[in-house]
Formats: sequence, structure tokens, C-alpha cells
Amino acid sequence: NSTLPAVAEELLREIRKAFQERSHVPDDLLLGLKFIFGPSAVPALDLVDQRSVTRLRSPSGRTLYQVLGSSGKLYTCYSSCHFCTCPAFGFSVLQKSESLLCKHILAVYLSQAMGACQELSVSEEQLTNILLAEEEDEG
Amino acid sequence: LCRGGLAERLCRLQNRERSAISFWRHQCISDDKTPSDKSGVLIVKILEIFEECTIQVAICQQLEQSPVTLSPEDAVINAEEPILKVLFTRETAAHLKSRPQDVIHIYPPWQKLLLQNADVPVIMNTYFSQKVLLSEHSEAREKTYGLTKMLIRKNIISLAQTFRLDDLDDKLHQEPSDNQVACVSQIHNNSDSKQHPLALNAVNDSLLEMVESQGAVGWREVQVRVVIQRVYCLPAREGYRSHTQGNKPLCATPVTNSDPPNVRLCLLVQDAYGMFSEVQLQSLSSTDDFEQYCRRWEGKSCCLAGMKILQRTTRGRALGLFSLIDSLWPPVVPPKVPGQSQDSEMMTTNLPPPSFCYILTVQSGEIHVEVDEEEQISNLYQPPAVHGLKEILRVDGCNKRCSFWAQVLYRRLQTKHNVPIDQRDILLFVTDSTLQNMGHGIPKVVAVSVSASCVLSKEIREALSAGSRLVFFKDALWGNGRIICVERTVLLLQKPLLCLAAGADLSELTGPVRLDELDSTTQANSVCALRGTVVGVNESTAFSWPTCDRCGNGKLELCPQDRELLYCNQCSEVVTTPVLKMQLEVFLSCPSRSQSTVKVKVWHEISIALFVLLTTLLFLQTYEVQSVLGKEVGLLNCYVHSVTSHPNCVVLEEIVLL
Repeated sequence: NSTLPAVAEELLREIRKAFQERSHVPDDLLLGLKFIFGPSAVPALDLVDQRSVTRLRSPSGRTLYQVLGSSGKLYTCYSSCHFCTCPAFGFSVLQKSESLLCKHILAVYLSQAMGACQELSVSEEQLTNILLAEEEDEG
Repeated sequence: LCRGGLAERLCRLQNRERSAISFWRHQCISDDKTPSDKSGVLIVKILEIFEECTIQVAICQQLEQSPVTLSPEDAVINAEEPILKVLFTRETAAHLKSRPQDVIHIYPPWQKLLLQNADVPVIMNTYFSQKVLLSEHSEAREKTYGLTKMLIRKNIISLAQTFRLDDLDDKLHQEPSDNQVACVSQIHNNSDSKQHPLALNAVNDSLLEMVESQGAVGWREVQVRVVIQRVYCLPAREGYRSHTQGNKPLCATPVTNSDPPNVRLCLLVQDAYGMFSEVQLQSLSSTDDFEQYCRRWEGKSCCLAGMKILQRTTRGRALGLFSLIDSLWPPVVPPKVPGQSQDSEMMTTNLPPPSFCYILTVQSGEIHVEVDEEEQISNLYQPPAVHGLKEILRVDGCNKRCSFWAQVLYRRLQTKHNVPIDQRDILLFVTDSTLQNMGHGIPKVVAVSVSASCVLSKEIREALSAGSRLVFFKDALWGNGRIICVERTVLLLQKPLLCLAAGADLSELTGPVRLDELDSTTQANSVCALRGTVVGVNESTAFSWPTCDRCGNGKLELCPQDRELLYCNQCSEVVTTPVLKMQLEVFLSCPSRSQSTVKVKVWHEISIALFVLLTTLLFLQTYEVQSVLGKEVGLLNCYVHSVTSHPNCVVLEEIVLL
């Protein structure tokens, strides 16, 4: 049974609670982010500061996240599992199992916790195209 | 980084922390003793170590705690050999080189995190950790251990394990924030919210059940959910009324042009069991709205309530209606069978098409049709299958509905003068890229006859007379080598949004349009192109007349003020420079149809070469026939009036293509 995901989840929940109650994230939670997520923490927070995370929702209720990376590239993060189309995810998470998440997925969670997600409604077709486009890139 | 943002804050905190860590480590090394301040130090003994990502997780036993931080709860925990999960970063772990049974001192600031469903607390931020060597032997052991690498189990974390940030009591989705863009409503059947105010019962999905249970009296309470397969207009005829009004005859009487067009908006609907019904709605005062209805309603689901049954018609009695129904058979989704559960494996190709259909109408005064315009297109909808004309001409059988997108080249009105213009049959000559680019054996242009029963909107009528237009012919009838537009055929100017373009090319024609050349197969009431040599002139048919140079009006009058000037009453102005039009019948010898006498009525405006000839003929009054004879006449586009075999003669008229 794994420990780290539960820890990460609890940390993010604490951040959410703190933000909801006081609209402020205390220092110790920020340092906790650094401890658990390492080098992804600061870049992820930067993405949140820049409001880079958008949640796409289609009429059937399906959701998807798109994060505007620092290079201007748009990365797609899934809702149902931890997956991101960025190269760091492929390398650090999938290949090396060195990280739980990449900075984009962390940014998604932090944006959720602090209500910083942009919301966008799209059609089923548009959502499908975004998902398929990712496939083509990797293919 | 954003000024004042979270990232900047963490950066500052992190830098401070890093300085503190390096300072502390340096202090440990240089002093070679543990720091004196014991307050808040966590002392743990490692029981088990494993790795998750780059974090080292140590299951530890807490040995004792500094008196300062001892609390009543801690005392209890201590007595029962408390277990802790201590996390170390990769760097700290590398520094510690911990093994099971090692004792570690963890100096503040460390953090304790209590997980929701776990009893074991987690210790984080363990940068200030130090291994404690308890005895001399340990030190030696440490040195030997340092040489052998310890294998630490690494847990691979599943990606499927996502984090739930909200509490179980909270709703799944957050409240919409201010920057939310317009939300699309759900698409599934939410008929509860859209039910007709009169209807209180649940929505049914069988037309037949409704009809059979309620009889012809009409029903108000129950609603039937159907899909609108087609929207069209029918001319309102007396015959469709359920009773006669006084002495009015039952046959169709032509309506004079001044009255608004007497047409009724109709829907061809289909229920989930595959049954069709034609619903006649209100009379339309003008056909302008029709295209709107078509676009907004076709393909959508709707609820019918309070319909009155006009008649139950059968295949033999309503060929037109059933040819349309046949074009929608078999249905795209296997129809439900009453009493059986939905079986998606069922083959639809063997199902026989329906043999009867109910014609319904609305009770007077009330609209009982609720169309879910906002919803998506129903999956039961069968859009018209658009084909190229070449394919349509090859179809076997007759009375088949076909849809195509074609360019109208020439229009000819039926010449019955006692019938008003909008009641006359129209003959259109159309083509598309599938016909134009083909070789021999396939005609380049095909005639489409539009009968008076096919309702045309004012927009279409104007477009057809004005210029060459691309027109979408929806559900025209093909049979016996002819395409006709009848009742239920719809002509639209817009390209079909939803259609099964089975290899049809909806693009514009490139290059000039070509007609078939006159030959032995040319028939009457067609168009063709011809070339030949003038072999004779029918002088008795020659005449000229002035036309208005602004509007082309051929009926100019003499000006009342000055009898020498011409006046155009359409422009309401004097015509100072009239255009002279001339007409003449010439006999040509055409190599493509050498056996026939070809008589062509030609117009001066088109054939410039002939104009010169005609001027010579008419103004000089004397001529030599020889000077005209033998002149070559270039490719003329003509309409074929008649073709006779005895005598072998073709009579044509030069035309201008739209």
C-alpha cells in the first residue's frame, strides 16, 4: 500500500481548506509542497499565479484540463487519472517513476484547491479532437 | 515569476530553508556533536524503509520525545510504541544512509500530517535529521554497511490513483466562477421540464399506440415523442380537409396570384418503433419562413400532443408520400419491437417498409408541437443522401427519392397562359461536376421538371429567374429517365448542413459549362450546343425591334410629347439610345446531325457574326443570298423546341444560359 499519494492528497486538501477559510495559504503548507513535490512545486505555483489552467467540460459531463506551459505550449491533463502530455511527465513519472506528478498536473490540483481554474464549455467533438490531437503528436 | 504570487513566496521560503539546512549540517559536522537544544526533537527508530518516487518512507517507532513537547496524547501514544511514517527527501536519505534499526534524531522544524483514513501520522520536512550512533560497535558496523549497498523496495505508484480534494459531503463540482463561459445544457431526455402545460402524463414513444387507443376523436392528455425526419410545405388542397365546406368542389382549384400562397407546413415524423406519420401544421402566410423551419427543426426530436387524425393512408393511395418514406427505410437505428427489450444485434435490412401511414393535423387554434430546438440532432434522424447527378441517372427503378446539389443553367416556364405564373410547371436544366467532366454516353445537362405541386419559396423563385444559382434539390423524384420535383420536394439555396454526401461533390463548377452537342439522340425540350453553316434564311421571320438599354424592356412606346422619341414605362424614362434586337430564323447544316434540317431562331445580341449579316439584309433591303450562305455559325447554346422525323427537322431557339 502506498503512502505518498495519501500524503500528497492530504496536503492538497489542507491547502484547499486553508484557502477556503482564510483565502491564504500558510508558509508551512507551501514548504510541504516543496518537500513532497520537489522541483515541481515552484513552477506549479507559478502556473497557478498565471491562471494557466483551464477545465474543459463537454455536455456529457466529460472533463479535461489544459495547461498553458511557460513555453506557450498547451498541455493536456486528464481528469480520470494522472496523465499529462508534457515530456517531463513521460520522463520523470512514467519512465523513471521519480515524481508523482509533473508541474502541470500539480498546477491543476492547486488551481482546483484555490478556485483558480478557468472554465470552458466545449462540444463533444471539440473534446474528442483535443484528445485525438494528442495521439497524433505522439504517433 | 509573478510579483507577490505564491511561486515567489515559496521561492523565498525555500531559499531561507536551504540556507538553514546547510548551516545546520555544517554545524553538525564541524561540532561533531548533536546540537544542544533538544526541544522538539523527534527520536525514531527505523523499522522498515521503502521508496516512493524520490521520497524515502521509513516506518519508525517513536522512542521518546523531548519533555517540552510532551503532551497528554503523546504520553499515551508513547506507551503503546507509537508508529510513525517518516518521510525523507532523496538528498536527506542519501545523507543519512539509514537502515532498519537505526536511530534518527529529527530536529525541528518538522511537520506532522494526519491522514484521513490512517492511524499512523506522517512526519514531513525532515531536512534536519541526523543519525545517532549508539555505541562503538555501531560506528564500525556503520563503516562496513557503508560499503555494501542496501536494496530498498520501491513502490510504484499507480497513475489511476487521483486526488479528491473536496470532502465527501461537498458537491463534486465547484460553484461556477466568474470567468465561466456559457454553459451548454444537457442533451439527454429532460422531457419532464419541457412538457406541454396541458400534458400531465409521461411522454410516450409509440404513434400507433396513441392512435389505436384514442381513436379518431383526438387526444389531449398524452404526448408522443418523435423525430422530425423532414420538413416541407404542401399546397393546401380541399381534398385534405376532413369535411367539405358548402358547395366547394373537392378538386384543387388554382389560386390567383394575388392571394397569399395557400401552403401548409408539414412534418414527416418517425417514432422509436419505426412508424411514420405526416403532421400537417398551420398554414404559412409566406414561404419565406419555411427555410428557417427546415433548418431549425429537421433532425430534432419533438413532442406531439392533441393531434387529430385526418386519415390513414396506404402505399397504393399516396405514392408520393411513400416514396419519401421508402427513402428513409431502413432506419439508422433498429426500431424497437413492442414487448421486447432493445436488441442492438437485430438486422434492419430485412424489415419491410411500412405499408400505411397516419396523417395527423393539429386541433384548430392550438399548437401542439414542442420541438427541442436546443437539443442535438436525434440519432434516429436520416439526413438526405446527396449524390452526384451521374449516380442518380444510373439508379434503377422508378419513384425513387434523390437529393443533389446542382447548378441551374436555364429555366423555361410552361406556356399555358390561363394558369398563373406561380402555378405553372417549370423546366430547369441543371448540371454538376459529375456530369460536366464525363465523357461520352453521359449527358452533360439534365432536365428537372418542377411541377406546380412542389412548393417553391419566393426566394427560390427569384433566384431561379435572376441568375445561375447552385440549388440543393432535396427529395426530388427520379423515374423513367426523368427527375421531377413534386410534393415534398424542397429546393433550398443553402448547402445542406447535414447530409450523407456519398461521394457527392458539393464544390462549385470550375470552368465554363458545356452542353451536349446536337446529334441524333437529341430530344425535344432539351438544351444543346450546335455549330454549322448557314444554308438558308427564313426571311419572313426576320424582324427587329428597339429595346430599352437600361432594363431590356422590349415593349417601348412612342413618347407622348415627342413622337420621334421612345419611352420605356418600366424605367419611366425616355430611351435615348435604344438597343436594337433582331430575330431571324436560319437554316443550318450541322455536321453532328447531318441528316436533319436544322432551323434555329437566332438573336442578334448573342451572335455578333450574324448581326452583321442581318444588318446587311434588313437595312440594305437588297442582298445576295450567296453572301449569307456558307457562313459558319459558332457554338450556339439552344433550346430544342421540337424534333420530328418526317420531315427530319429540328427546331431550336438560341438561348442565354443563366
